[in-house]
Amino acid sequence: MKKLALATMLAVGLTGCSSSEETQVLNLYNWSEYMPQEVLDRFTDETGIQVVYTTYDSNEAMYARLKLLDDSAAYDLAVPSTYYVSKMRQEDLLMPIDRSKIEGFDNLSPELVNLDIDPDNEYSVPFLWGTTGLGVDTADVEGEVTAWADLWDERFEGRIVLTNDMREVFHVALRVLGYPGNSTDPEQIEEAYEKLAELMPSVRTFNSDAPRMPFLEGETDIGMIWNGEAVMGRDALPTLEYVYPQEGIIAWLDSFVIPKNAKNPEAAHKFISFVLTPEISALISEDIGYATPNLAARELLDESVANDRASYPTAEDMINAEFQTDIGDEALQVYAKYWEKLKSGL
Amino acid sequence: MGNTLQQPFRTAVLVLVWGWLLLLVFTPNLLVVGASVMTRDPSTFISLPMNLDAYRQLLNPLYLDVFLHSLYMAAMTTLICLVIGYPFAWSLSKVARKNRLLLIFLLIVPFWTNSLVRTYALKLILATNGLLNNALMAMGIIDEPMQMLYTEGAVIIGLVYLLLPFMILPLYTVFEDLREDFLRASHDLGAGRWSTFIHVIVPLTLPGVLAGVMLVLLPAMGLFFVPDVLGGSRNLLVGNVIKNQFLDARNWPFGAAASIMLTLAMAFLMFAHRLSKRRIGEDGV
Repeated sequence: MKKLALATMLAVGLTGCSSSEETQVLNLYNWSEYMPQEVLDRFTDETGIQVVYTTYDSNEAMYARLKLLDDSAAYDLAVPSTYYVSKMRQEDLLMPIDRSKIEGFDNLSPELVNLDIDPDNEYSVPFLWGTTGLGVDTADVEGEVTAWADLWDERFEGRIVLTNDMREVFHVALRVLGYPGNSTDPEQIEEAYEKLAELMPSVRTFNSDAPRMPFLEGETDIGMIWNGEAVMGRDALPTLEYVYPQEGIIAWLDSFVIPKNAKNPEAAHKFISFVLTPEISALISEDIGYATPNLAARELLDESVANDRASYPTAEDMINAEFQTDIGDEALQVYAKYWEKLKSGL
Repeated sequence: MGNTLQQPFRTAVLVLVWGWLLLLVFTPNLLVVGASVMTRDPSTFISLPMNLDAYRQLLNPLYLDVFLHSLYMAAMTTLICLVIGYPFAWSLSKVARKNRLLLIFLLIVPFWTNSLVRTYALKLILATNGLLNNALMAMGIIDEPMQMLYTEGAVIIGLVYLLLPFMILPLYTVFEDLREDFLRASHDLGAGRWSTFIHVIVPLTLPGVLAGVMLVLLPAMGLFFVPDVLGGSRNLLVGNVIKNQFLDARNWPFGAAASIMLTLAMAFLMFAHRLSKRRIGEDGV
């Protein structure tokens, strides 16, 4: 037994040694395709801090990782969406952000700070905001598509992509039925499930890595897509159009947070300040097509980007828009049950 | 003399092996069993009162459907691997020794690339605007692109592609051991080619077939990234259900229970394999 303990200690000691690097490292945990490589390179050039970039494709996956609070998941910076900021804050998973170390916070749009999810922004700094709307490949779709309800049209059978996001997919069905997108009423959720079950035979695929890909692959003609994905997709597929559905678009705000077990919060603060630099914020928005909450950056944007309705919606586009909110665990379980049913009921 | 020298080495190896098994196999499995009898908790994932709710949830017909569909896809995968792998391994054993090593080497080379990357590559081939459709259309074989991606077929193609070597390698070893004189004896005793195949070759290679079937069938139920990438998150495998429970629904006890059920199903197959192997051992050679 003693020998065993010795061997274990030796093994642990060996793995421990390998991580004694000289250079500083920032472990950034972010959505896939949500930060241009150029920004990371420039950050490293400027500060000498290496960035280890890890991605996730759902808030749930990110949350499950961070919740463990162990060393294998020690990220210095993560980018949860709206309602996950409040959830993680309430569960004491986050480190307060030291505002004295953050430069450029005042550039942020007053409409997107001090929200209910994090009053006074003690734990979060807005990164980008965007919407989930309808992507339509006009080369293959005749006539105008104006509403989420149009997805139920027979002609789209087998040509639809949905995001692989339980809350967003149910949001759509709830809105089509005239209910609030953040409903916690089990009966409304069940009705939404039944509505979605009708849609399922038409759904070709779910995608939350890069919802533009099924359009580019030629697999789908219409479906749910994030506005930035639509903008990026247009480069390769100019006929890809982004539509703001009548029932109301799904809006979200993604914010930087520092997890409680971060190893290098210093570097995290530096990175947030770096991104808040107007020039960098503008570069990010131009490159990946989502809207920056940084007002100083808005002024630097290229005309074509600033006037792009897909990235920067007009007030009219945002009529009926709803932000996702934390719905509590009880309702989440109801959603989860129907989501599972939906995806396995082939 | 040899013994005294070997003693420390032997101890070191034993400690390493047992330490490894204890630390990385036994303990994690124990944790899974533990998690499966706990109660789901939204903020700590699992919490006390211990109960069997998760196992009760497994009895939901929904999950039976998923299991059966998953089993069906895994069985199809195995069958296709066998149909391709059997003659492949046979002819491989007939090739001159020098070339044989090269061929086996080529069989193993794809493992140097991460299987997830290879699955994404398949996506480029199977897509409507993909390589295969474009090639077939350019050759005038088809007029309209075929829908291959995001179908059950695509998932099976992906699984076959990833798992075929696991069928070929055990089959190759039994074919390599197949003694020519048995075949000659069979021939001398008046058996025709077909009869020799059925009564001599098949029974002698059966252990390889069973080993290959197990190496293919069991992983084919769990490779969740294949349906995620090629099936468009539809055509779920048991592995997807487990992954979704841990990552999306955050129901760890249920995810753990599902994974234990899968482990038990595998253990059952392995047990059946051992039984049949013993019987072959007695009746055969």
